[in-house]
Amino acid sequence: MGRKLIEHPFYAIIFGSFVFFIVIPVAYTLGTALFADSSLTDNLQLLNKDTFLLLAKSCIIAFSIALLSTLFGTALGFLLYKTQVPFRSFFKIALLIPLFISPYILAVAWKDFFFLLFNNTDFISSYIGVILVLTSIFTPLSMLIVGSALANINAQLEETGFVITDFRSVIFKIMLPLIKPALITSFVLVFIFSISEFSVPAFFGVKVFTTEIFTQFSAFYNHSLAILQSALLILLCVLLLLSERKYIADAPFLSVSGKGKSTKFYNLENKKWISLFFLAGWFFISVILPFIVLIVQSFQDGIAKFVQAFELLKPTFGNSLGLALAGALITVFIGFTVAYPTWSGVETKSGKSFDWLLLVVFAIPSTILGISLIKFYNHPILDFIYSGYAIILIGYTAKFSFISAKLIGNAIMQIPNSLDEAAQIEGIALSKRIQKILIPLIMPALFAAFVINFIFCLGELGITIMLYPPGTEIMPIKVFTIMANAPQSLTSSMTLIVFSVTLLIIACLYFIGKTFFKDYSNVNN
Amino acid sequence: MKNLTFIIAFIIVLITSNCNNNSNVVVVYTTVDQIFSEPVLKEFESGTGITVKVVYDTEETKSTGVLNRLIAEKDNPQCDVFWSGDPVRTIILKNRGITTPFQSQVANDIDMVFKDPDYHWTGFSARARVLIYNKNLLAAADVPRSIFDLTKEQYSGKVAIANPLFGTTTFHIAAIFTAVGDEKAKQFLADLKSNAVVIATSNGDVKKRVVQGEIACGLTDTDDAWEAIKEGANVGIVFLDQQGIGSLIMPNTVSLINNSPHPANAKKLMDYLLSKETEAKLAKSCAQMPLHKGVEIPGNIPSLDNIIPMKIDYDKTAKKLEEIQYYLKEWAEN
Repeated sequence: MGRKLIEHPFYAIIFGSFVFFIVIPVAYTLGTALFADSSLTDNLQLLNKDTFLLLAKSCIIAFSIALLSTLFGTALGFLLYKTQVPFRSFFKIALLIPLFISPYILAVAWKDFFFLLFNNTDFISSYIGVILVLTSIFTPLSMLIVGSALANINAQLEETGFVITDFRSVIFKIMLPLIKPALITSFVLVFIFSISEFSVPAFFGVKVFTTEIFTQFSAFYNHSLAILQSALLILLCVLLLLSERKYIADAPFLSVSGKGKSTKFYNLENKKWISLFFLAGWFFISVILPFIVLIVQSFQDGIAKFVQAFELLKPTFGNSLGLALAGALITVFIGFTVAYPTWSGVETKSGKSFDWLLLVVFAIPSTILGISLIKFYNHPILDFIYSGYAIILIGYTAKFSFISAKLIGNAIMQIPNSLDEAAQIEGIALSKRIQKILIPLIMPALFAAFVINFIFCLGELGITIMLYPPGTEIMPIKVFTIMANAPQSLTSSMTLIVFSVTLLIIACLYFIGKTFFKDYSNVNN
Repeated sequence: MKNLTFIIAFIIVLITSNCNNNSNVVVVYTTVDQIFSEPVLKEFESGTGITVKVVYDTEETKSTGVLNRLIAEKDNPQCDVFWSGDPVRTIILKNRGITTPFQSQVANDIDMVFKDPDYHWTGFSARARVLIYNKNLLAAADVPRSIFDLTKEQYSGKVAIANPLFGTTTFHIAAIFTAVGDEKAKQFLADLKSNAVVIATSNGDVKKRVVQGEIACGLTDTDDAWEAIKEGANVGIVFLDQQGIGSLIMPNTVSLINNSPHPANAKKLMDYLLSKETEAKLAKSCAQMPLHKGVEIPGNIPSLDNIIPMKIDYDKTAKKLEEIQYYLKEWAEN
């Protein structure tokens, strides 16, 4: 049965397309860059002690961010997913906002805020600044991962615990061991996102491994060495993800199905207001403060610059929304294709290798991925791809399919096998079972994957800037190309508009989800 | 099934909608800030009917994204014209065989010093490297007049310079090496470092820090400095070393890409960019100094006739830049 499923022609087409459109270009570029003209031997000599020291330093920074984000994310996740704290539905969405705004824009806002307040930016333009800003950006991710795991704990286990022991023991002896896989996943993913982040350390003038890769790439034009250094980073990320997989065996995270499970809510009693204060404080620091800075700067010269910013961005809305929509649909489609063989435990070697390919591509820095795609697709025979939007969609697919595969895969793992087995006994064909059983059950997860990837595609800059076809107007590109030398009020206004558009989309999709999936009790989780 | 068909149709329409079948096109890659370059290119488009497709660069990538893209596209160029804000990037492209000669008749009266001897690039509308200072923090009498004054104790911790590995600052430092020799230039940089110079992320960052009063003065480009003045900041500008080595002048450059897809339109655009009209527009929009004689410019824009330029050979300076890059990396990072 398993072999039949994997050999399903539809699966084979998607797998083959992913390998052809994404994996081969990357392998081709890495291969030619590393092995052409003995450059590998030459460049290997440049991977000296300093390179590894810098990598170690970057690891320490990423470790700090991952640790802090997971700690704060766990606290926020507990309050929002395991208690009835006031306004929790609002905070569940509102606290996610920093995750969907470009880190560079938030770094600019934070630096300006420090200057407005302290007349000095030394504190923020440092390792501490990088750690603080990236922690504020990635904590929502941890909150989402850990919160979902907390929501999925079987209430009976907690109830039983309370019968024989106290609250503290339930937390440390039952709850934390149960969510350990989610904590590890949160730590590993935030670590990978942090160590791959370029724009924030570069803006704060902090030297890390990614800024070194950028320097080799953009100041010395030594693409081979930059790719070799990137390979080190990719290796590190893959090893981390490998260990995460090996030891936690694909534990559920970001689960949005969980149908049929009940969640135990804790009564905060007299700690209700302190908890609310903590949530509101985090919201104020991570969302409102940067927002205030943008508003102050946007309207310092009146409303004219805001109007100009809107006029400049207006032509980009259609393209950007269309691309994000197509990108989200494709990545969800691929994510589903990768994940469905896990249903009923029929995953085989080819299924696992597809999963791994998504993971390796996900770990490749955007610039390297962009260059790989240019070098492969920029041939007369492939011009129909390279000169149109297809190249951007290929970039989005490479970057974000892993996220949807992970989300959908975990939702599928929560569907009881008995449902499929019963249908099989009845002799129902696989395609029918997928259509009538699997898809309806995981619809909220498909929708969540769509929403998350839609927002990620909408704000994607790293690959898009390398690949966007000449003459195309795309929202994040326009903001960043106008940013250079434009008045502060104009760039802040543009950022504010992008910020607001993203917020509006999150809100709309949230209400659509709420309306369409109201039967799925945990959709909001 | 119906929904799936609709989704696939939507994606196909989106993918194919941007495929270009129009041959009356010219593709431009530019490192010049979009806010200044876009109006010029739009006017060319409306005047000639040739569709201009542009790829702009970003401050976030230190304006190197376009250059890396041109290098990656070398075997099958998509770009026709490269409009650079300085000669450094163009010379890199020339050395990699990405540009091809084109001698525009429109630029005949532009001094040969602003042209590649083989016409791989031609200069127009120049910027200069200047000192921008905050008038609240530095009295007129205390403003440095030479770049070498910046190493004096009175300016300790008060001077900012952009990361010398990127942009025009790289070229400025290379020009100083060419003008005064390696030994003196290295001593200058060492002294600057001892004097607690602030290394900013970009020229824009230097401007911002001076405007905000975080730093008293810094080295930047004229367009950044004039933009600050236009925004009403209480800052002043000084052309340094008018009694000495002179100020570095950096022309915009325009190059024809080797094997470009639309060479005829490319040449028309190059002629347009190299014209007096474009220089007049850039003088008005971003205080760039015309290289043609007799271009009408606003009264507050300096003329090259009144500035002592640093006497450099752009090709030699670009070679020097490659020589000193590892030294500059070491200087900036340690």
